[in-house]
Amino acid sequence: MVRPEKEEDLLQVLISGIVIGTVYAVLALGFSLIWGAARIVNMAYTSFYMAAAYLFYVFYSLVHLNIFVSAALAVMAASLIGVAMYKFLLEPIRAHETVVILVSIVMAFFFEECVLSIFGTTFRSVPPFVSGYREVFGVRVLNQHFLALLVSIVLIIGLWLFLSRSRTGIAIRATSQDREIVNVMGISEKRVSLIAISIGIGFVCVSSVIITPIYVVEPLMWMHPIIMVLAIVVLGGLGSLKGSFVAAYILAFSEVAVVNWIPMGSFIKSAIALLVMVIVLSKRPEGMFGTLFEDERL
Amino acid sequence: MLRRMMSASVLSMCLVLVLAASFLAAPAAPSEVRIGVPGPMKAPQGDNIWRGAVLAQEEINKAGGVNIKGVKTLIKLVKIDTNELLSVSDAVVAVERAANDVDFYVGMSRSESTLAMQDVIVKYKKIIVDCGAVHPELTMRVARDYNKYKYFFKGTINSSFQGQVLMGHLDDVAKVVREQLGIAKPKVAVLVDKLQWADPIAKMVETRAPEMGLEVVGVWRPSAMASDVSAELTAIKGAGAQILFHATAGSMGIALGKQWGELQIPAALVGGDAVGSVKSYWQATEGLGKYNTVMAGIGPAKITEKTMPFWLAYVKRFGDFPGYDSSTYDAIYILKEAIERAGTLNADTLVTEMEKTDYRGAFGRIVFFPRTHQYPHDVQFGPGYDTWVVSQWLGPDNLSVVWPMGWKGVTYEGSTKYQLPPWVIDYWKKHK
Amino acid sequence: MEYYVRRIYKAFNGEILAVPGRAIGAAGIVLLFLLGAFEISPYVKDILIFSSIFALFAASWDFLFFSGQLNLGHGAFFGASAYTSAILSAKFGLPVWLTIPMGAITGVIIGVAVAVPALRLRGPYLAIVTLAVPVILQGLVFVFPSVTGGELGLFSLPGIAESSTFVYYFCLVLMLVCVWVMWKLTDTNSRTVRTGIIFHALSEDEISARTSGINTVRYKVLAFAVSGFFAGIAGGLYAHTMKVVGPSTLEFLFSIYPLIWTIFGGSRTIYGPVVGAYLLYFLSMELLVIVPEIRMTLFTAVIVGMILFMPEGFTRWFRDKIEIRCPRCKIINPVRRRSCRVCGTPLHGTMDYAIDRKKEIAL
Repeated sequence: MVRPEKEEDLLQVLISGIVIGTVYAVLALGFSLIWGAARIVNMAYTSFYMAAAYLFYVFYSLVHLNIFVSAALAVMAASLIGVAMYKFLLEPIRAHETVVILVSIVMAFFFEECVLSIFGTTFRSVPPFVSGYREVFGVRVLNQHFLALLVSIVLIIGLWLFLSRSRTGIAIRATSQDREIVNVMGISEKRVSLIAISIGIGFVCVSSVIITPIYVVEPLMWMHPIIMVLAIVVLGGLGSLKGSFVAAYILAFSEVAVVNWIPMGSFIKSAIALLVMVIVLSKRPEGMFGTLFEDERL
Repeated sequence: MLRRMMSASVLSMCLVLVLAASFLAAPAAPSEVRIGVPGPMKAPQGDNIWRGAVLAQEEINKAGGVNIKGVKTLIKLVKIDTNELLSVSDAVVAVERAANDVDFYVGMSRSESTLAMQDVIVKYKKIIVDCGAVHPELTMRVARDYNKYKYFFKGTINSSFQGQVLMGHLDDVAKVVREQLGIAKPKVAVLVDKLQWADPIAKMVETRAPEMGLEVVGVWRPSAMASDVSAELTAIKGAGAQILFHATAGSMGIALGKQWGELQIPAALVGGDAVGSVKSYWQATEGLGKYNTVMAGIGPAKITEKTMPFWLAYVKRFGDFPGYDSSTYDAIYILKEAIERAGTLNADTLVTEMEKTDYRGAFGRIVFFPRTHQYPHDVQFGPGYDTWVVSQWLGPDNLSVVWPMGWKGVTYEGSTKYQLPPWVIDYWKKHK
Repeated sequence: MEYYVRRIYKAFNGEILAVPGRAIGAAGIVLLFLLGAFEISPYVKDILIFSSIFALFAASWDFLFFSGQLNLGHGAFFGASAYTSAILSAKFGLPVWLTIPMGAITGVIIGVAVAVPALRLRGPYLAIVTLAVPVILQGLVFVFPSVTGGELGLFSLPGIAESSTFVYYFCLVLMLVCVWVMWKLTDTNSRTVRTGIIFHALSEDEISARTSGINTVRYKVLAFAVSGFFAGIAGGLYAHTMKVVGPSTLEFLFSIYPLIWTIFGGSRTIYGPVVGAYLLYFLSMELLVIVPEIRMTLFTAVIVGMILFMPEGFTRWFRDKIEIRCPRCKIINPVRRRSCRVCGTPLHGTMDYAIDRKKEIAL
């Protein structure tokens, strides 16, 4: 590959890394919240990412509602589907973690097939909230990228405040540390799980309507994000939100670097992220900041 | 106990016989010409394939049908959903299952799956006209083992010729850049899929650039499914390119058009976009793909006298532009004429008649390469034959043919001259 | 001579015909053999050939599941082996009877490679790691296009034989032999082969098993290796019946299919996935013609329904309806019998016995 300017190049990687990293952080935090508090590995997590995007498309392009109304409706509807799926399908079998993974994988395919049947494989697109771009040190960045960054930061700070200041937030943190004691302490572990899941799914839906205007909406869009999220959460450490946050940036930068600088990059970006995950799980299953519980340790 | 076993085995025997009977070949109704239309029916490619076929069938049947030795026989289309874009084994099973119900196969889309389907169908000795998969290997096989693969024909040119189409167009654009921007040696950035099919195209640009008076400033190969190419676009702008030549077969094309338009990259976006020739492209790129060019098998110009009537009928009926795989329309007519000349549905006789095809269709003049050629039964490329076109997006319903524009003496009536995006002109006027 | 015939006849009558589930299974196998001899349409024959290959593939997954390892990337063994067979025969011209075993060996190698991280992980963690394997392999396919054929894959592979009848019987017999081997290896009642009960112990409680002196490391690796081997055979067969191998052979769906077939048929039974594969594959191909648009949607919905409402699987549910276990000697009896065929214990409780006695006297 012919590489013209090295500094601009590095800058591009830096900026892309920051933007993508923050978005991944939001997704990973949501997933980590669900895993930590509810002990659910929901493989269909990013299916709601896809659902929100398609619903946004439907409300805006087919029903012709106002862009903000469409986005809001899409987020609400997709979150509802997500929580409903949890309540009716996953909650009854919550105790069997592996079965949950099984069911959620099949559900992920079910959602993909539904989308395929209704919309076909044609690529769609959803409108950006802000159009145009801005030049930052010679690098052109879409305004929507800035918006995504902003919204993600707001969400992350909001989550941090919620978890550290509010009672429910503290309850959630307690649940992810020790689920049995929490019940003894008078906190309804079931209710806390539900709240955590709702937040997690809400996160993923909001991210979706902010991010997908930059990208393409298609039935397979859920696959790469779930792979990245899994890798991030594992790398950061299961049960550790701080870990997910840090790992999101690490893996985002490595993905951008791989895509830009390694010849076959975009094909193996998923593979590389997963390789990282496998290595981490083999050598240090608790990841960077996580803790491994007694019954999960071998 | 033994009695129960006896009855059980009798029951299972009956079941066997019933199953067997239901699957044994049902004799064909001789009063129909049954054409199977395999394709990925959930995808736009499948739509294109099916729609072209439907238009041909209706026209022919309205005129009475196919004339087999004086007997007017109607055409019956059998839709076969192969799901070939997602599963090769589904495709193989689907076409095999239809083998009892069809006499011909017209359609197909993905090269990987078509290679497998080809093997299965030639076993049944039925004629195939492939209108979607363009890998040269498909007809190279006919050269290697003529007797086995002779039933296979193509409905459109293969990918080795598509490169020439793109080069011709690039040459045109280079000329326009020279004229309008006053730059003697324009810089071209190459952005193609990181997939094998695009390798020869990338190489072709690099080798032909000097003779076209162009300088290649870089080759970028993102994934065909990439959803964010803003990094590449920024780098291309940084390289100072005036032309962004691209070739992509996947969703990256949409991201490219959208982000290129949004970021207003000062390079003309030209090239081949497999997803770009349908109306939904405009919506998918939010109109930002305007001024992009796409390579396609057909365009709204007078390639032959049949082109515009077909184009208009198709748009009116289906609300979308035909794709190159809608050449099923021509393919069915070609089959019809071959059957009428041969007076029979017998595959071996028809092969000889098909080889004599010289048909002026909506997509061009279709003649097959002879048995001795490198690509036997493939569609001939060249001025006066099937040339494909390059069209430019000028509005939500406005796709206009911009190439061939005097290429080897060929210009189709109704073409327009290639237009540079206004912001590109502005940018380069300021940044001489 | 006559002694052996009589002994086989007695064994057959006692062990197979007397147990309804097994009798139906035997009838099914006989049916499959007969179908090959009749003049059935080539399409059905091809479907059945694929069914036998996929049955083997599904059984190999169930074998691993039986030993307690949930493998979400089973398609990796299958795909890697298919690619190995394809590369060996397309690039090096090796004959089919060599490429398939070589593919199986690749399956073993990949199996052992996956086993290594699996040793330290359980439950969801293991599942996630296994997910990664086919994705990584698929990436490798694109990195070395000159060897693997890139996105187009490898085509024009030689078939197993010219006659499709031969291929049919070959795959059927091979599948039955392999499934029988796997079944024997998971038989918890066998006194000669101890792996069955060891694997069962592994899946129930690994720590207790280790405390009992079982070398869990060795058996875990063995489970992966055997599973990889049989999945590899299926992969090699697939390569030479499909005659085309591409990145789509490593796709995610191929890792989900054995799951679906096994869960439908009945997990941890080895024969369950075989039944599941035959029934579901045929069904899915028919649906492809009848309702192609919603085929997979229906499918996934059915599977979710199965997991939630019939988690024991179809074969277990079916067997439950037609068989009952004797409360005293634990032998399986047809459910209609009044008393056990071996020890005479009443099967349906003393009240019935009293009633039956009355009937007998009245008669």
